[in-house]
Order: sequence, then structure tokens, then C-alpha cells
Amino acid sequence: MKKKLVSVLLCASIVAGMAAGCGNGSSEAEPETTDDGKAKIRMTYWNSEDTVKTLLEYLKEEVPDVEIEFQFIDNSNYDTVVDTQLSAEEGPDIICESPGSALKHARLGYLAEVNDLGAKYSDAGTSVYSYDGNVYALPGISWFEGIYYNKQLFADNNIELPTTFDEYIAVCKQFQDLGIKPLAAGLKSWEPMLKNSMAFVTADYLSTDAGKSFGEDYRNGKTTLDGTWNEYIEKWSSMISEGIYTTDMTGIDHDQALEEFATGKAAMFCSGPWDLDTITSKNPDLQIDMMPFNGTKASDGWLIGGPGCGFAVNESSKNKEAAMKVLEAISTVEGQEAFWQDNQGGSSYLDGAEFDLPEAYTSVTKTLAAGNVYCPWNEWGEAAGAHETYGVEMQSYLLGEQDISQTLKDVDTEVKELLEK
Amino acid sequence: MTRKRKLRPGELGNYFIIFILPALIIYLVFSIAPFLYTIFYSFTDYTDMNPVNLHFVGMKNYIKVFQTPLMLTAIKNSVIYAILLTGFQTMFGLPLAVILNKKLKTRNLLRASFFFPAVFSSLIIGYLWSFIMSSSDFGLINNLLHQLGFGTVNFFTSKNALYSVILTQVWQWTGWAMVIYLANLQSISPDLYEAADIDGATGIQKFFRVTLPLMCPSVKIIVVTGLIGGMKVFDIIYSMTSGGPGDATQTVMMVMMKKGISDGFYSTGSAFGVCFFIIVLLISAVVTKLMGKWSEAIQ
Repeated sequence: MKKKLVSVLLCASIVAGMAAGCGNGSSEAEPETTDDGKAKIRMTYWNSEDTVKTLLEYLKEEVPDVEIEFQFIDNSNYDTVVDTQLSAEEGPDIICESPGSALKHARLGYLAEVNDLGAKYSDAGTSVYSYDGNVYALPGISWFEGIYYNKQLFADNNIELPTTFDEYIAVCKQFQDLGIKPLAAGLKSWEPMLKNSMAFVTADYLSTDAGKSFGEDYRNGKTTLDGTWNEYIEKWSSMISEGIYTTDMTGIDHDQALEEFATGKAAMFCSGPWDLDTITSKNPDLQIDMMPFNGTKASDGWLIGGPGCGFAVNESSKNKEAAMKVLEAISTVEGQEAFWQDNQGGSSYLDGAEFDLPEAYTSVTKTLAAGNVYCPWNEWGEAAGAHETYGVEMQSYLLGEQDISQTLKDVDTEVKELLEK
Repeated sequence: MTRKRKLRPGELGNYFIIFILPALIIYLVFSIAPFLYTIFYSFTDYTDMNPVNLHFVGMKNYIKVFQTPLMLTAIKNSVIYAILLTGFQTMFGLPLAVILNKKLKTRNLLRASFFFPAVFSSLIIGYLWSFIMSSSDFGLINNLLHQLGFGTVNFFTSKNALYSVILTQVWQWTGWAMVIYLANLQSISPDLYEAADIDGATGIQKFFRVTLPLMCPSVKIIVVTGLIGGMKVFDIIYSMTSGGPGDATQTVMMVMMKKGISDGFYSTGSAFGVCFFIIVLLISAVVTKLMGKWSEAIQ
């Protein structure tokens, strides 16, 4: 009997121990502080700490009564981890949000509105973080992607920079005739064709009066890609028919394509500021510049891009006030400059914050000055994640498995499913 | 001196329960309970946009699974992958083990060499082969082909990509199958071979009449673990193709990660998981039954 009692007690203690382990340590919403009385807040981001190093140092000095614990979460798991934490009311105090996730979290009531601070930024930056008339995240330094080109190869072969899409195709043909690969592309990834084709659609349609409302109509289910984008993708597909994008490229990944460009085996490579250091470190002698994507008509050109990350505050943060203080410090010219230091090449959406462009972006100065930086899927609202499907479907199109109409239809189906969720 | 009390029948079992309990509780909490939850969620409208107010939706999620081409492609690819990988490693592993069971001078070195790839993570193997099979000038195979005057071979077209991945996995896991076979081979009594010699059996006859029938236990292990592991493939696909090009190498786990977790369709992902569980259960049942019949036939 005694032994039975012991065994029952043992079992009970195990179960109780597990239940205690699963439980919430404290239900009271007391602000978390450090030993020296500083408010302790947690900030999550999908880029490494190196990309916010100067900003964190600046915040340490500017907001001395707040200690920021930076948490890097890999991009592939970022949304899943943050979603889970937020739904358990244990999310980070400051969340770096993409436009799509900010909209979702705003709808679910996870984010605090930041209208007052948002007023300091341009509408181009805050519009993608707005929901129901409120701003829920403050845009960080913008990202953009254009076409890096080897200046020496262009100069040595007397090839001029193209100003239209047709000229661009002609330039690629000139390189082909010279036995030089015109464009290095890692089509094992779904990203290159997504950005390249969307940049063309942006230049020829989305930036025109006819296409300006497409994003809004698309996210409201009033229009579809199939039937609207077909003619533009048809025109753009000369990138495939002229052998600039080839089926062999599905066997090349991003890093291998970068290697081809950096070692001078290819004249051009589509990417953004995040790859510049890698390219120049692989070949310090490479003379590099970036040109924009072009449409059929001559213009200042277009770059694919938008706000890199939006800083948002968790509505149920125990240190909401401290988190707001940090956002206030970021929303100054000094704060933006500190963030820009580790993200050079991008621009700030804060009124009055302007920075010099590194030399590698000389040929896109006009494009950036004209504000021709646009990311079509940022306008797709909760269906923004379907841009990956678009890229994947374009791979199938390249490999000749389906036509343009089917490619666009598949994206429409995915978008519809995400919007109806 | 105290006399030990004689235990009554069944009394000892009560003590075993105490030893089993911690592992049982962990298993219930971390395996059975999540599985039951998965079944429950598969009948609800649980998504990242609706995490709290769940409603019963009947078979809607299951119908959606069978109406989504991506999910059907993923099941098809996983089955092809599992069958081919298991088939090849079973076929190649056995002769390799028989050869390396002979008294060769380099036997240990060869055994280690063949087993070596299995030591590495599939992620590392994936990135390595990705580089070897690249269509760029830096790809080892294509570089060699170019030097020999041949054109580029693209291992990652819609038709080739899945088989390219399988090739790398056969390379990686045949050595593992060989080790299992070797352990089994060494347990076969030499008396049987002596008896076969006396009967005048040839080497081939000894293999088919003595070795192969007695290899049944190891074949069973390799086939069952190979099929189940193959159906769950994720890391090698993730590192080599990420499911592409297009959806050519999407597998069940890749799609479950994307649709069920990243896209936030938790309930559809759960239904897909339950369907997958049933498929694996059926395959395992059929294989176990077939293997059982083989065992019976030998005896």
C-alpha cells in the first residue's frame, strides 16, 4: 500500500512538474527591467545584427534608459516564429515587419498604431504599412534591385547603356555575338525572373495611368493578372526567346551566378546593395555600376524595391512606452543615418533625410531621384506572399511546361486563396 | 533474516509502470497529443488569420488537399523518391556488402570509404552536389564535359531534377545499407556454406540459396526505414532544389512547410498531414506483410 502511494505521488509530481513547465510563469503585465533599472525590450529582424550594428550603437546612446535585446530570426522561419509568439502574447516588443506581415498583424490587432511618428515619413513609405486609416509600422531604409554591369566590358566593346527594353535586348545580343554571356542568372531560384519581369510590367503598365490602380484592384479581387498582364509578359518573354534567360540557368544558383559576374564571365547581373560587398571582395578590380530596368519607352528607368523593413510595436508589449521611445529615436535624421550606415545604397523615407549614393550606383541616380522604385507585390495586401508562386510559375514557363496565360492563372488562384483566408 | 515475500501474479507489472511512465508521458505529450490535435485541426478553419474562433468545416480541408495540384504533385514525387531510393540502395548495398565481406586487403578502407557519405548531413551533401552538378562553368561535371567537347547537361530541368536528387541520395545512403547487410552477413553461420560446398554449390548458387534468404531481416530494416524516410524527405530537397524548378521536386514535407506553416493554412496543412500519415501507414503495412511472407517462405 505504502509503495503504491509512493508511486502515485511520483506520477503526480511528474505530471505537476510538466504542467508547471508548460504554464505561463507570470500572468501579470509587469514591465521587464534590467538589474540597473533599464527597460528591457526585444527586437526581431530577419537580417543579421551586422545590418543594424550602427543603429543599435546609436540607440544605446540616444535612449540610455532602454536596453535592446536584438534577436535574429532566419528569413525562412521569420513569419512563423513571430506569428506564433504574437498569438501567444509573448511576441517581441519591436517587430521588423514586411508590408504583408504588417497588414496581417494589424488586422489581428497585434500592432500598436504609430500615426504620429508615421506623419514624419513620406506616404510612399507608410502607405504599405497602413490599415484601416492607421499606420502600423515605420518604413526603414529602402531596398532596391537593378542590373549590375561590368563597366569595363561595356567600354572595351563600345557598347552604350540601353535606355529601352528593345535596346537592352540588342545589347545582350551584342555580347552574345562577342562570345560573352550577357546576363548571369541563378534561375534555380524563383527570384530573378520574378523581379526582372515585374520591373518590365512596372515600367510599361503599373506606372502608367492605366495601371496605377492595378495593385488596389487586385487585392480587392476586382481584377486578375491573366487578361491584364499577358501582353506585357509576352513582350518581356523575348528575354527567353532571344536566349538571354536559358533553360540551362535552372541549374545555376544565385551564388554561382554572382561568381560568373564577379569573375568577368558575364556582363550583367541582377541584384541589389546586399551583394555589392561580396562581388567586390571576389574581384576588387571589377569596375561595377548599376543600370535600371527599362520599359519599351525611354524613361529614367525602374528599380524593383520598397521599404526594406517596417518597425512596428507590439500592442501587448509590457514595455510599450520604451519601444515607442526607440521608434521615436529611429525617426530622426540621425537615426536614419545610423541605419543607413549598414545598408548603404538604399534611401530613407523620413522627410529631410538624404544620403549620398556610393559610386556603384551612379547610373541609377536619376532613377532614384525620380522615385522610380516600386515593388508590385507590396500592393497585393494579404496575398503578397504569392509573389513566390509567380516566380515559381515563371520557371515552369521558361521550361516550356505552360503558356503565359496558365502561368498567370496559377498565380491568380493562389492570390484568391490567400485573400479569402 | 527476513524472508522475501513471494510476488503475486501480475504484481511485478505495477513496478514496471513506474519505469515506463516518464517516457510514456513525454511520448503522449509530444507525439500522441500533437497528432490528435492535428486530426482535430484538419476538420476546422484554423489559419493564421483565424487562430482562435475555430469552426467545424467537415471534410472541406480533405477535399481541398485532393483538389490542389501542388499537393498531388508532392505526394507523387515523394512516392517516386522513396521507391527509387529504397530500391537502388537495397540493390546496390547487398552486392557491395557481399564483396566487402570477403578477405580483401583494403577491406576496412573500402568499407569506411563507402560508408563515409552517410556521416554527413544531407544539407551539406545537397550543397556539395548542387555545386558539382551546376550548369555554370564552375560545375565540376559540366566543366569536365566541356573539356571533353560535350555540351552542357542540365541536371535541374523539370524532368531531371528529381532523379538528380535521387542519384545523390543513392550515393550517400548505399554505404549505410551496406553496413546493415554486413552485420547480417556476419551472423550467417559458416557451417551453411560448408554444407553447400559439400553439396557442390557454385558461388552464385550459394548467394541465391544461402545468403539471400537469410538476409531477410536486414532487407526488411532497409526497405521499411528507407520507404518511410524517403516519404518524409525534406533537407536534401531544400538544399538542392528548394522544390524547383517550378514544382518539379516538391515533396510532401516541402509543401506542408509552405502551405501548412509559411502560408498559414494550418487546417489544410493538418489534413494533408493526416492523408500523408494514412499513405505511409498503408505502404508500411504492405511492405511488412510482403516481408513477413518472405520470412515464412524461408522457414
